[in-house]
Amino acid sequence: MSARHEPLDKLLTTRGDLRRIAGDLDHVPKAFPHRVNADPEQVERGLAQLVLTLVELLRQLMERQALRRMELETLTDEQVERMGETFMKLEQRMQELTAHFGLEDRDLNLNLGPLGDLL
Amino acid sequence: MSVRDEHELKYQVTLVELVDRVLNKGVVLTGDITLSVADVDLVYVGLRVLLSSVATLEEQREISAAGAQL
Amino acid sequence: MIHLYGLVQQLEELPDVPGVGGAPLERRRIEGFELVVSQSKKELQEVSEKAVLTHANVVEELMGRSRAVLPARFGRAFTGEKELSDAVRTKAAGLESGLTRVRGCVEFGLRVLAREARRENSQPLSGREYMRARLAEATERDRLSEELHEPLTRLSRTSTRFGGAGAELLQAAYLVPEENAVAFREYLRRLETAYPRLALICTGPWPPYTFADEGKDPRERSA
Repeated sequence: MSARHEPLDKLLTTRGDLRRIAGDLDHVPKAFPHRVNADPEQVERGLAQLVLTLVELLRQLMERQALRRMELETLTDEQVERMGETFMKLEQRMQELTAHFGLEDRDLNLNLGPLGDLL
Repeated sequence: MSVRDEHELKYQVTLVELVDRVLNKGVVLTGDITLSVADVDLVYVGLRVLLSSVATLEEQREISAAGAQL
Repeated sequence: MIHLYGLVQQLEELPDVPGVGGAPLERRRIEGFELVVSQSKKELQEVSEKAVLTHANVVEELMGRSRAVLPARFGRAFTGEKELSDAVRTKAAGLESGLTRVRGCVEFGLRVLAREARRENSQPLSGREYMRARLAEATERDRLSEELHEPLTRLSRTSTRFGGAGAELLQAAYLVPEENAVAFREYLRRLETAYPRLALICTGPWPPYTFADEGKDPRERSA
């Protein structure tokens, strides 16, 4: 896709050198992918991406809940310890799965709009 | 990064903001379809999922229209 | 099919731009509301980049020519005039309050991408240490998020905020009265220098999409 676009002229932050934040912005997925990939491996990867993103979201949701309870001090030391271990294991598992599918952390970013605030 | 890449990146970033607004926000006028699907609308997962979430809306509309005729 | 762009108040004249599919823009007066629509022979709404951009362009043009514009969401066309009228009638109260809410305002958006440093588990942490570290991180993120958000709410009629989990430190939209728009925009521009380590995506001014619908449940709103 080589056609140049008309600038939408809404972007206010215009760092002189986008390279610096390009790494972060990279994971903002394109609104309209320019090619629909029917290659089975890609499809599987796409599905994995979707599933893992959701799992990651759940993991973060749970962690957040746990942190809240920690703040409110409604957890015993032992519970905190066990939760920490569980979350660490989960995090490690997620890293393994993500790597297995050739995905990066940034591929698991999913903005769910309204749902993003359900925490 | 070349000027063209930077331009493209800026364009994509702005496009995401625009698409989010046009497809997720804005006032919704409808008959009696529940748009709970739209709430879970996974815009950022890509066009494939986007189309299927919109298609689901259409399907629901057809289903409810068909139901209304029964 | 009738495609709806939004409701307007005191629209000077229809903008001279094409609607979706190249169809001409038309006005409708229903229940005392003024709507801007276009017609299409297509059965199914095509959600393409082009169509979405066309819709956005029309709404943008309307914003420049009206006292208030209530942008409609893209995606579901009406099968005919009756369905459109029924829909307007059903939602009349919400539309009225929507128009009042957004009158004279524009929208700005702020997205702050977090720099989540990949935690290198160089030394094994105990469960408690892990949780404490996560708690410290979360607290800091919340603090920073509030620090960014709060001054902006003071310039806004209202705002919504999402985010907190995931990679985004903050995602917010602000409904800003036109008289504050220039100051707001300048403030957003200066954020870049004030927070060089953050990836900020500030956009606007937009038509007030985020504040158009009353919504199922409004997110955080500040007066």
